[in-house]
Amino acid sequence: MMDCDTAKSKLFPYVDGELATELRDQVEAHLARCGACRRLVDFEVAFRETYVDRLRPDPAPERVREQVATLLPDLVHGQRAGRTQRWLKRLALGVGAALLVAIGLSAGVALQSHLGTRTTLAELTDAAVEQHQKLVRDLLPPDIKDVSPKAAEEWFRKRLAFNVSLPDLKTEGLRLLGGRISHLREVEVAALEYQVDGNNVSLFIIPEEAYRQLRLKDKPRFKVVSHRGYDVVIWRSQGAGYTLVSEIGDRACLVCHAPHEKLEPLPRPSAHL
Amino acid sequence: MDRGSEFQDLVPKYLNSLYNYALVLTRRAEDAEDLLQESLVRAYDGLHTFDRSLSFKPWIFTIMRNVQIDRQRRRRRQPSERPLRDEEEAEPVVSMENPLCSIPLAPEDILVRRETVERVREAIRHLPPVLREIVELRDIEGLSYRDIATIVSRPVGTVMSRLYRGRNLLRTYLVEPAQRPGENRIGVRNDGL
Repeated sequence: MMDCDTAKSKLFPYVDGELATELRDQVEAHLARCGACRRLVDFEVAFRETYVDRLRPDPAPERVREQVATLLPDLVHGQRAGRTQRWLKRLALGVGAALLVAIGLSAGVALQSHLGTRTTLAELTDAAVEQHQKLVRDLLPPDIKDVSPKAAEEWFRKRLAFNVSLPDLKTEGLRLLGGRISHLREVEVAALEYQVDGNNVSLFIIPEEAYRQLRLKDKPRFKVVSHRGYDVVIWRSQGAGYTLVSEIGDRACLVCHAPHEKLEPLPRPSAHL
Repeated sequence: MDRGSEFQDLVPKYLNSLYNYALVLTRRAEDAEDLLQESLVRAYDGLHTFDRSLSFKPWIFTIMRNVQIDRQRRRRRQPSERPLRDEEEAEPVVSMENPLCSIPLAPEDILVRRETVERVREAIRHLPPVLREIVELRDIEGLSYRDIATIVSRPVGTVMSRLYRGRNLLRTYLVEPAQRPGENRIGVRNDGL
């Protein structure tokens, strides 16, 4: 019969799924009758789900991607006259342009396969509202918080394959709470949490390619949808798609526009999903 | 698929992981780039030795680590390039059946604090190199204990021991931020639950 100290000593390999079957069964038998140890395991699992599962390797800088994209075809086609690092670097500079094309192509292919079946406006709206609710209820912790819009842009730039451009307004009552990389219908997006006069507003920035897949008409420029009591505004700008979710109608536009700016009025909600 | 095409497909897929591991091993961006390139050249040359029934990532990580050891033998001038093996402390080898007698720190305090993922990532970067390597390989790269043991050429028990120490130290950093290296003395709390 396993005691608590022994069970606790096996916590990490147990949660890692690294224990042999017999030992795992002994731990589970202990957990079935020991609430304290079970609680310890629950916290460990929650910690993994909240943080560890979301950790990613530091992204390779663009320069390194270019170097590698140059090196690979050369290796494969056996054109290595010499293998010194200096030579490789010189070569990398020479064919950087080819690499950029290769990266663009592979990014496009990756995105296409990532998107899979086409997402509809209704599905995007539903996913955005669901994410907004989770963000507001603290069910999705931010990856970054209490940072300036510029710092947030920089953070996303290193991690996402599309441009994230954030407004940098000093409007009273407007606050950027934080951000995270999230998913809307399996599409990787930048999710930003704001407060406008104490009201929660979520802004999701999606890759332009994913926005195009929605096949929305150009006009009206802003698509407004009411869904489950939330106001959802969807539009495209500067190489990305945007989805704004709030309960405060067009006042949510203060996330992107100063109060004195004259804005074109939003259309009436085109759908109530 | 021929071996060249296979290699060209696999490397971009793992590029972030490869660069990140090169950074862990060298601790300097410039050296990491050189290590990455040298490792790719050596991996391609040895691709015929790669067993397709196994995973590519641990195979190429093993190559990268060996390349780094060779590089350190060639040039031992940078403090940050002390040989990997010299940094590895004498550690008791524990068995899989009885990995550790100590009790891991519970992450309850960290969950309550609602730390950001980025802060957890930053804390991992502050771990001592020998522990950071194992924590990164397991918690970021998701490798098995046995794969990690193969990569670092150490018994599985040593991997478990370092993982235990690394994770507990990480939790200490997160609960007591002032305890990070360079900020104050590190004190590993060991109060069980």
